[in-house]
Amino acid sequence: MSLRTWSTIALATLALSGCAGTSSRVSRASLSALATPVATVSTPSRPTPPAPQTCGNPLASLTPPATLPAPGHMPRHTYMAAIARRGRLVAGVDQNSFLFAYFNPTDGQIEGFEIDLLKQIAKAIFSDETRIAFKAVTTAQRLGAVQSGGVDVVADAVTITCARRRQVAFSAVYYNAAQRLLVPRSSRVGSLAALGGRRVCATTGSTTIVNIENARPRPVPYAVPQRTDCLVALQQGRVDAISSDDPILLGFAAQDPNVKVVGPVISPQPYGMAISLAHPEFVRFVNGVLAKLRADGIWARIYAHWLGRYTGATVPPPPTPVYSG
Amino acid sequence: MPQTRAVSARLARLRLASSTTPGKLVAVGIGVLLGAVLFGLVAIAVVGDRRDAAHAVSSDSEPLLAHAVGLYASLSDADATAATTFLTGGLEPLARRQRYTADLQAGARDAAALTASVRGSVAASESVVAVSENLPVYAGLVETARADNRAGLPVGAAYLREASALLQTAILPDVGVLYAFAAGRLQAGYSSGTGGFGLIAVIAVAVAYLAVFVLAQRWLASATRRRVNDGLLAATGLLVLLSAWVLVALVFQQNALGRAQHSGSDPVEALSATRILASRAQSDQSLTLVARGGDQQHPADFDAVILALTGARGGLLALEASVSHNGTSIKRLASDLNAYRAQSAALDALVAQGEVERAVQEEIAAGAGGRSPADVLDAELASRISAAQVSFSSAAEDARTALSGLGPGIPLTVLAIAALALAGIGRRLREYA
Repeated sequence: MSLRTWSTIALATLALSGCAGTSSRVSRASLSALATPVATVSTPSRPTPPAPQTCGNPLASLTPPATLPAPGHMPRHTYMAAIARRGRLVAGVDQNSFLFAYFNPTDGQIEGFEIDLLKQIAKAIFSDETRIAFKAVTTAQRLGAVQSGGVDVVADAVTITCARRRQVAFSAVYYNAAQRLLVPRSSRVGSLAALGGRRVCATTGSTTIVNIENARPRPVPYAVPQRTDCLVALQQGRVDAISSDDPILLGFAAQDPNVKVVGPVISPQPYGMAISLAHPEFVRFVNGVLAKLRADGIWARIYAHWLGRYTGATVPPPPTPVYSG
Repeated sequence: MPQTRAVSARLARLRLASSTTPGKLVAVGIGVLLGAVLFGLVAIAVVGDRRDAAHAVSSDSEPLLAHAVGLYASLSDADATAATTFLTGGLEPLARRQRYTADLQAGARDAAALTASVRGSVAASESVVAVSENLPVYAGLVETARADNRAGLPVGAAYLREASALLQTAILPDVGVLYAFAAGRLQAGYSSGTGGFGLIAVIAVAVAYLAVFVLAQRWLASATRRRVNDGLLAATGLLVLLSAWVLVALVFQQNALGRAQHSGSDPVEALSATRILASRAQSDQSLTLVARGGDQQHPADFDAVILALTGARGGLLALEASVSHNGTSIKRLASDLNAYRAQSAALDALVAQGEVERAVQEEIAAGAGGRSPADVLDAELASRISAAQVSFSSAAEDARTALSGLGPGIPLTVLAIAALALAGIGRRLREYA
């Protein structure tokens, strides 16, 4: 009898002791959730090399009207009138290109060379340069935003190419950019040719990185997800040089007095404002505004204000427009 | 040769003696003594093992786990706080700044405590060294980001991304190694503190010893025609009492350890993992806004983290539900998480429309009083983790005190059992003297 009692107690306690052992389950589940891999930027498919598409002179834009309509009096049935009715111009911009188009945390404003040009367009429509809304667009989104009508105009360092002209219309060139090099002040590198076997930073998926890979002797491309990541890589000594469009490099130089822009133009990058193919009258209007800015010296003033300190040279002449049609 | 003869003669006398009643009484006495020694040793060993295991769990393994998950949570919160604070520009709210600093200090304390506790494991030691090496680098990157941000330089955002990438891809995986080590050691403590083998051994020895008494009394009753031997009866009763005490204490102790796990360390682990991932989601959301539309990596990571939290098979929330005994508290957690997701979806929608600035302003406004959905969720999880740690401590304390009386109790009672039994046998033996 006592044996039966004992065996009952034994069985009961064994059953109780069986409750332990789920900690490993909780730990396993917690650890596997915590081990969720950090997402990485998927390398976008290599931008199609500028296909030998011919479109005559890609820089040729629509001829502006002989005289611009007075601010506040946009001709009826034009896109400018639609913008005027809406009450503000909607512009797609970058917010990370220092001096060119960037968010200034100290005053909470989006500022820069491109921003001031866009404000002049708003001023020409409303006679009030604050009647403008800036929308942040990524490189991938910017042409689609124009096509869908989400924004009226994009000024976001868009290089005019024949391929892009099939998607959007371009204004006359407002800035002649060039792919160049940024190196530490102490560096003796003067051109891409001197960088064979050395690390050169550029943005993942950009045309710049293709140019680096095609250079001979071949540098080692160092791709980063966002443009400013290159400056961190250079400041930390992980790369020997950065290659990008000169407005971006000037923006870097403005943030760090220990670097310099060097070398010849690796490839020219004429920037135009992208506007929907459906609104040729707005393209003409914008070209008219740009012509006025060049003629009145406002373009030069804006250039001097944002970039003059860092280019070290006198203000260059504004880009010469090419019109056809 | 004569020696051999002497030995065999002695053996023969012994055989003769053991066949007589007094001889048999002496044999029973020896059996009672041997049984007392065996029972006492086994019970002391098993109880000692269990007590050591319970002690190790409460004063060694659990603090180790607390330091590991604490380090993980502090650093994750530091990263989220640094990113969210960055959005406010050069003039950081003091409370956020202090929270970041406090997180880093808590992390450094945890890392120091872990350094001492993981000496036994090469992998864990290497990990804690790597964490300690990388923490100052991380802090340096964050400070560079702050200084640039204060100066209005966009490169600050890149330094902040760099800092976060260092934390998420190098430092936290090392902390994960420490966490896995701590969780494994705690599990080993639970196993040895609740193992069935010791219990079975005690039961087996107790049953065998009891059988000795039962058989001895049965034989005495038939051999001496006296029904009851007072000494043996008292010894039997005392043995039953002691066995019951040992078994009840062991069962109580292992139940308390089970409670320490189920309402203590299990919830601590599940809730901490949730809190850590919520911080990572907040880092992703803030870094996305910091990049002002130029970022594809952090939105993707945000989605992956939310999937791990609420995922296809319920994610961590389902795990919490499975370890929690309170359905309404899980609903509260789920609704906090939903509020957070709703807020970030609203921000996403603004960013998608290009209204980054409005999204940033809304995020700053939401966090102004420290009561943003992310803050509410984090505070809720932190208070639950503390509550689970309190549950753990009280259950672990129960597990330790359950066995405390047995230390002196077993040897004294076993001595008493042997003394009573021998006294009973001695009375019979004297009748033959």
